[in-house]
Amino acid sequence: MNCAEFQGLLPEILDSGETPESKVHIHSCPECSDLYVELREISQAAVQLRAGEEPNQRVWNLIEIALRQEGLIRDTAWAGPTLLPTPARRWRGAWLAPIAALLLVMTSGIAVLQHVSQRQPLAALNQASTIEAGAAEDQELLNTIGERAPALRATYAVDLRSIDSYIHNAEDTLKSDPTDEEAQRALMGAYEQRAMVYELAFDRP
Amino acid sequence: MTEADRPQDARISEAEAIERAKSGDSDAFRVLYDLHKRRVYSLCLRMTANTAQAEDLTQEAFLQLFRKIGTFRGESAFSTWLHRMAVNVVLMQLRKKNLPVVSLEETLEGEEDAPRKEPGAPDRKLSGSIDRLHLQRALEELPPGYRTIFLLHDVEGYEHNEIASMIDCSIGNSKSQLHKARMKLRTLLRASKTEAAGKR
Repeated sequence: MNCAEFQGLLPEILDSGETPESKVHIHSCPECSDLYVELREISQAAVQLRAGEEPNQRVWNLIEIALRQEGLIRDTAWAGPTLLPTPARRWRGAWLAPIAALLLVMTSGIAVLQHVSQRQPLAALNQASTIEAGAAEDQELLNTIGERAPALRATYAVDLRSIDSYIHNAEDTLKSDPTDEEAQRALMGAYEQRAMVYELAFDRP
Repeated sequence: MTEADRPQDARISEAEAIERAKSGDSDAFRVLYDLHKRRVYSLCLRMTANTAQAEDLTQEAFLQLFRKIGTFRGESAFSTWLHRMAVNVVLMQLRKKNLPVVSLEETLEGEEDAPRKEPGAPDRKLSGSIDRLHLQRALEELPPGYRTIFLLHDVEGYEHNEIASMIDCSIGNSKSQLHKARMKLRTLLRASKTEAAGKR
């Protein structure tokens, strides 16, 4: 076997392994030997690229929003005793708190943050003023998006409406039972989604 | 949230998560997403070499998966099902943008078939020096068609017959393009090594 023959068969040799003839040639020709070894190493190293990077958190947030909009996620937030929060859900509420608080700062000012930091029940907050401030913020955001990327305005409007509807549901539940922890967590989750929509809008003009 | 942040959900098996997701459990969707997000996102990122596009495609792939999860009967591995769906989403997107899924770089035809050695050039063997970062950079420089075949075969592990059916080409074409892709990568990696040596 000469170099041309070896290199012609190289794709098959790499896929299926060396033949006795190719083995002889590899041992007798340094150039073809280098070529074979290096192509094999490239192929083997490729697996390292299989799962490298982690997607940004917003990817999941957008997926979750879409799943809720399409009704694929069952609303378990305040459905009754059979759907009481799992330990994971209880735990999740803890990490949502600062994010929700951050959003509340955006919509209602420092006074609300102080309120949250004193660990008052969410139902005790002045919901009406928060919602009004939130609606004004939403409108401002939509106007800004309308100027920067008009094609995206409708998508943002739908997302915000969907999240607001979720917030209203949670608030209604809290009005009838201010101690409903599950509804409180659901409300904070919805606030988090709003925060993410805002983050997305400012991240990706 | 990272996987480490979700100790309770992480204990749910994939099979259990699939069943719970079928009935709309949001935690189950999240578990499935966490299990597979890195591989799907990496695939999208390598194929497009663009972070924003990769995020959009990852989102689309998972949405398609979750919309169809009710039809998953377990005949194939869930990961196989998901990754095939992700590949299809990316390929469809590449076609929409008129990016070649099979290489159209005619000028490269045959160029990589034989190793070239410039007289007097230092011999920069690659052996043992291919790390992930260099390979990733070289991959980004590959023409899109070569990149697709290399990613599907060498990174994702698809066979030539599967690739041929995915991108609508012959098995022979898939084999030929893969070989050219590897040859081109070798050239790029050697050039990168020579450049690095020159800077020292």
